[in-house]
Amino acid sequence: MTKIIIKTEKLCKTFSSGGIQQHVLKNLDISLFEGDFTIIMGSSGSGKSTLLYAMSGMDKPTLGEIDFAGKSLSQLNNDQLAVFRRNNCGFVFQQIYLLDNMSVLDNVLASGLLVNKKKSELVQKAKELLMQVGINDNAWSKFPTQLSGGEAQRVGIVRALINNPRIVFADEPTGALNSASSESVLDVLTNVNQNGQSLVMVTHDMKTALRGNRILYLRDGVICGDLQLGGYSEQNNLERHEKLQHFLAEMGW
Amino acid sequence: MNLAMANIRKSKSATVSLFVFILVAALLLNMGLMVNTQLNAFFDQKTEQLKDPHVTFQMDQASYHPAHNEYLANYSGIKETETEEIINMHSAKVPFGNGELKINFVIYNADTKRTIGPLNLIEKLTTTSINDIYVPYIFKTNGGYKLGDDFTITYQDRDYDYRIAGFLETTMMGTTNGGVMKFMLPDTDYQSLADELDNQSKGMMISVVMEDKKQSPKLNNDFFQNLKKPQTVESTSYIWGLDIELLKNVDSLVIKIIATILIAFSAIIVIVSLIVIKFRVSNNIEDDMANMGVLKSIGYTSRQILSSIMLQYFLITLSASVVGIALSYALMPLIGNIISTLSGLVWINSFDLIINLISIFFVTICVVIVTLLSAFRVRKILPVAALRGGIQTHSFRKNYLPLEKAKGGLHFSLAIKSMLANVKQNIMILLIIMSLTFATVFSVVLYYNIAFDKTAFVNLFGEEPANVMIYAKPDTETNTSELLNHIQQMDQVRNVNIVDFISIKIDDHSVFTSVTENFNRLKNNVVYEGRQPKYENEISISWVVSNQINKEIGDTVKVKYGAETDSYVITGLSQTVGNLGQTASLTMDGIQRLQPNYKGTTLFVYLDGISNKDFIQNVQKQYGNYIADTLDFDKQIESQTSMYTDAVFAVMVIILTITVLVVVLILYLVIQTIITKRKKEFGVMKAIGYSTIQLMNQISISLLPIIITGVGIGSLLGIFFTNPMLSILLSSAGVKRLEFTIHLPIITMVCVGILILSYIVSMLVSLKIKKISAYGLITE
Repeated sequence: MTKIIIKTEKLCKTFSSGGIQQHVLKNLDISLFEGDFTIIMGSSGSGKSTLLYAMSGMDKPTLGEIDFAGKSLSQLNNDQLAVFRRNNCGFVFQQIYLLDNMSVLDNVLASGLLVNKKKSELVQKAKELLMQVGINDNAWSKFPTQLSGGEAQRVGIVRALINNPRIVFADEPTGALNSASSESVLDVLTNVNQNGQSLVMVTHDMKTALRGNRILYLRDGVICGDLQLGGYSEQNNLERHEKLQHFLAEMGW
Repeated sequence: MNLAMANIRKSKSATVSLFVFILVAALLLNMGLMVNTQLNAFFDQKTEQLKDPHVTFQMDQASYHPAHNEYLANYSGIKETETEEIINMHSAKVPFGNGELKINFVIYNADTKRTIGPLNLIEKLTTTSINDIYVPYIFKTNGGYKLGDDFTITYQDRDYDYRIAGFLETTMMGTTNGGVMKFMLPDTDYQSLADELDNQSKGMMISVVMEDKKQSPKLNNDFFQNLKKPQTVESTSYIWGLDIELLKNVDSLVIKIIATILIAFSAIIVIVSLIVIKFRVSNNIEDDMANMGVLKSIGYTSRQILSSIMLQYFLITLSASVVGIALSYALMPLIGNIISTLSGLVWINSFDLIINLISIFFVTICVVIVTLLSAFRVRKILPVAALRGGIQTHSFRKNYLPLEKAKGGLHFSLAIKSMLANVKQNIMILLIIMSLTFATVFSVVLYYNIAFDKTAFVNLFGEEPANVMIYAKPDTETNTSELLNHIQQMDQVRNVNIVDFISIKIDDHSVFTSVTENFNRLKNNVVYEGRQPKYENEISISWVVSNQINKEIGDTVKVKYGAETDSYVITGLSQTVGNLGQTASLTMDGIQRLQPNYKGTTLFVYLDGISNKDFIQNVQKQYGNYIADTLDFDKQIESQTSMYTDAVFAVMVIILTITVLVVVLILYLVIQTIITKRKKEFGVMKAIGYSTIQLMNQISISLLPIIITGVGIGSLLGIFFTNPMLSILLSSAGVKRLEFTIHLPIITMVCVGILILSYIVSMLVSLKIKKISAYGLITE
């Protein structure tokens, strides 16, 4: 039996604006499992990113419980959540959000040194991870503005992985990239997942969603579909594609 | 105009900070300029209003000769003269403030009909008594007296008790600065006092009003040059001349220093404002690059955009200057009180449109120039480049302090990285903190030397910083030297010197002269060029006397004491702001050339480990028979310097308050800018696990090295340049060399205070980071 890493109970998120309340997430009960590459899909405004950031401790739910590997996130204050994130989560953003005033290597180390105090080991690990995602040593001292979008996102992935997180949250990581760059980034994420890393990714792109082994479909703040796709490989891609297409058609996508 | 107003609305807090800086600068500048420019006019106006004399010649009755009046009658430019009898109490004592004031009292008959220097009372009792006295206003502002208080004058070992019936206002002899103070007694009191006193205490006063009072120093000089030789051979005979210009200079000295400090400090605040404007304009151009691109693309010219930026700062400056100037009028009574305390005159606040316009114009023109220079690059930006974000805003050319190699903790390294990447901002903070620290150290040094360690300040007045003065009785079987030897043997007596102050004539000018056996034994060396006299034919004179008699070091002067005259060589020039700068020094051997049996009467005693009061009691008990009088010199100094202490304290408080205000505002402005500009970065850092307190510390630590450097450089400038700057400020008053004590522990405390304040303010302002949420970054 696969271990549950995140479990939500009656998760609600409501935004208020100008006296009008918008219920974005409605009583969600979800369980995410260790080692899974979970994809959250849905139309614009369905609450995909809101769910991702609520589960990651980046945002606080309005109501409900989030249990992260036996720990309730609802009880933590902002700084405790920061410590929780640094020890348990990795983040990959659509806009990449590397720190512009730091070199590639420093971007990774600025995250790693928060958790790992053994600098030499950490530097070694950072360099290995960068090499693994195709960022060679001649790019390590470059600034993010000197990288291509794909390169920068791969650095973002290394930053997310440097602290051996329990789970990586990716919010449309290929949303701002061209197709070639998107492929390379997705390859990295797939590879990472195949090495045992739990991943949750929000996307509205079917090709991207194919990399996951489980698809959650969100509509108006409610999970209305949960598809088990099985692990990704080049060989079974066609079959997975059809299955996903069928599922999404059912969901009215 | 619309663009300018929109910009002002968009950056409210920065606008408020700038508004406050300019307001403070305009306020200080206007106050400083008003005092500086109105002070002379104020004294002149007061002299006219009070019908005070422009020159007075005070002499003992034996020295008076009708020829004096004849000379004055024939002197061109004299409008009016009056001669009257006065009572002169040489070295009379009266309680003053927390101490005692020992000074020459000139007592006038209040009921004598006179047109020059009549009795002008600021406050008076409505009832009369048999022992009423009218005393200068300074006894109220500094002496702690009020109407109806007892007023006891101790003179020639006798107490004369009076009741203060009024405070008089006068520009002539109204303060302690001239060494003489004016009192008035109703006729009956005057006559009864005159009857009680010896002939030595009776004198004559010739008061002169001139057509042009600027000529008063010339008359004062000419009078002595042409003086008919008095027939007297009395060693106690004297003729003293005072002129209004000299008194005006001395009485307004500290006020002018205060006004100059206010102007200098306002200049610092103007510079701070200009640096802030430069910083803000550059930042705004970078931040609003895309907007500028839009404006340019829809047809706005560079000139229009430049005008809108300039108008934005022009409007802030103009409104802040006007408010600052209005506020300066509200605060002028405070400065007026300081002026009254120092001059003994009631300050009249007057509106000065020209000065107000100069203040506004100066501040505004500086702001306009700096804004234009800072915004000029807008002209070179092409619309297309601006729409793309313009010049690369994050063109980091160097990865400062790579984390891989950095020593120290992660947060420290990140703070230093951030510091190294913001050179322009750091230069701005450095310059501001440096200027403020310098101003603060300057004011603290000034206050420390006037309020605590008064040695250097007392030196300025030519006083020897002894603890107790003992006046030996003349004509006793024990001479002063023997008494000195006895006192020297007493416990807790560190040193004793005979130091007499006598009146001699140098080339016919009456000069207050100190006489001692060996000047090397004195603590205070007032000679700034050459040296004090060593041999019997040598003399040192103050530069004021040197100017009056037109003699320099190496020249020979005729010195007269009593009936004898001899020649002396000038060995040095001295400085002092006391006794109107007219002083000289002779050795005991030197004075004995003129009066062989001169033995001195005053002992200066330096104590260790005993209170002055206890020592005076002990010495009176043991040697009372040989002692004419004693004086607690520390108390005397305390009472005479209290007015300066209060005034300089006020200046120090103003400077410290403004320093704190500016440090707080600058850090607020800078940190707010940092948070706004690095909002995304802080959001990302929060997302990957940095806590608020870690980011707050990073900001504070990144500013700390710059602040430490600024404080360090500012304090070093303060340490090395306070004395030269004060010397320049005081040069017009006779100070050629100044050696105020630079008390390092106090300066260190001030510097540490600024650092602690900066760190606390940085942390408090950085608290705004709390509001930045990692999630907010994504949803923006």
